[in-house]
Order: sequence, then structure tokens, then C-alpha cells
Amino acid sequence: MAEPAVFSCAARLEEVERLAAHLRRCGAALHVDNVAMIDLELALVEAANNIVLHGYAGRGDGTIGLTVDRLGDVLIMELRDGGVPIPSSVLSAHLPPSLDAESGRGIAIIRSCIDEVGYSQEGGVNVLRLAKHLPKPPAA
Amino acid sequence: MTASGPDDDIALIDVDVDRLDAAAAPALKARLQARLDGSARKILLNLERVSFMDSTGLGVLVSLIKMLGKDGAIAVTGVQPPVRRLFELTRLDTVFRMASGIEEGKAALRG
Repeated sequence: MAEPAVFSCAARLEEVERLAAHLRRCGAALHVDNVAMIDLELALVEAANNIVLHGYAGRGDGTIGLTVDRLGDVLIMELRDGGVPIPSSVLSAHLPPSLDAESGRGIAIIRSCIDEVGYSQEGGVNVLRLAKHLPKPPAA
Repeated sequence: MTASGPDDDIALIDVDVDRLDAAAAPALKARLQARLDGSARKILLNLERVSFMDSTGLGVLVSLIKMLGKDGAIAVTGVQPPVRRLFELTRLDTVFRMASGIEEGKAALRG
């Protein structure tokens, strides 16, 4: 059965695993290699955690939508939510947290795993676009 | 989570969650804190059952090593590729000693 164009779940931490499972199913269907899938899942989970914890700040009525597409050698994930937008200063921060920090690594992990990060608001909906360049398959 | 020891002063802890993520991390942190009564300064964490870990799960391990104090050390074994990738991305593979087995982990902690 084909995956839905948009996979949605409640914005709760225990639901983030369902987003990851959807990504893995899409990745398999789109022939994404295992190494790239590790980075994609890490980035997705960190982004979704941020939406739950900061965007919705514990509100239980929010949702997160995920689309996964492959355009040639680029895998694109788009996360949509109706929570408080991520401040641009947070998204553009480049300093890695100190080694003894117990939190605050999410954005740095996303930036390490993903080649292009885009963020916009469309009609009151936050759209986080994460694009990763995939390795070209070996020549036949 | 199961624990054995301490063997010498090393506590061996098997982390028995599949995903050590933000949903699972608070419960694991509470169990680890309850397990550690202050006698062990070195911990060998067996992560072979952990197929995925996020930064919140990693934060639990950081809190654990801070709880052990300046003489404390943690080695991890059974690290699966997604978990290893997280350690490497965050440079915490320089803090937690990565071992390929229980005995190697104990040796690293004793060394």
C-alpha cells in the first residue's frame, strides 16, 4: 500500500516514533541507503521533539504533518505544525553546546545531518524543510 | 533496565529500551538514579538493545556521568550504528569510552 502524501500525528513525544517509522517506510520505498537514513531519522526526531516541546510547549491538541519526497538525489522532508514558530536566532545558531550540556543539541544535530534547512510560515502553519543530498548509486 | 555488580567498582547496566528517545528518557533517568546508590564510580552501559537514541537520551547519559563526579567514568558497549553516529556527531565519543564488548569495556574503565 502506498504511503499517504501527508502523514500526521498528535504533537506528543510518544508519537514521534510514528513519524520515524513513516520516514523509514518512505526511505525503503525511495531506495535511500541505510547510512543516509540514520541521519534523516536523527534530524526528523530532533525537529519533531522541538516542535512538541517548544512549538506546542506541552499543548496536547496540536498535530505534526510530515511529507517525504525524493527529487533525484535529494531527499526532502517537510514538517508542518501550528505551534509557536522557531525563533530565527535559534535556527541559525551554529555554536555546538558544551560537552557537559544535558540538552540543547537538537538544532546542531539537525544541521550536522541535513544539507539544507529551510523554515517558513504558510497561512499560519510552520513549514520546516529538511533536504539531504543522497550519495549517487555506484555505476552499473 | 537490569544491573549487576558492582564488579570491583564497576556497575554493569543493561539498558533494555529499544528507543532511548525523549519519550523514554525521563523514566530511564529515574531508574538509573535509583539504581546508583553512590557506591559505583564507574559504569559500563550495555546498549545492545538500543536501536535508536536522540539528544534527550544522550542527555541522560551526560547527567549520569556528571552524577558520578570527577572520578567517575562511563563506558558503553553494544553500540548500534545510529547510536554511534549520535555519539560522533556530538563529539561525546570523546567523553564516553566506546568498547566492543563487556570485557573491553571493563578494561577501559580500569585502565
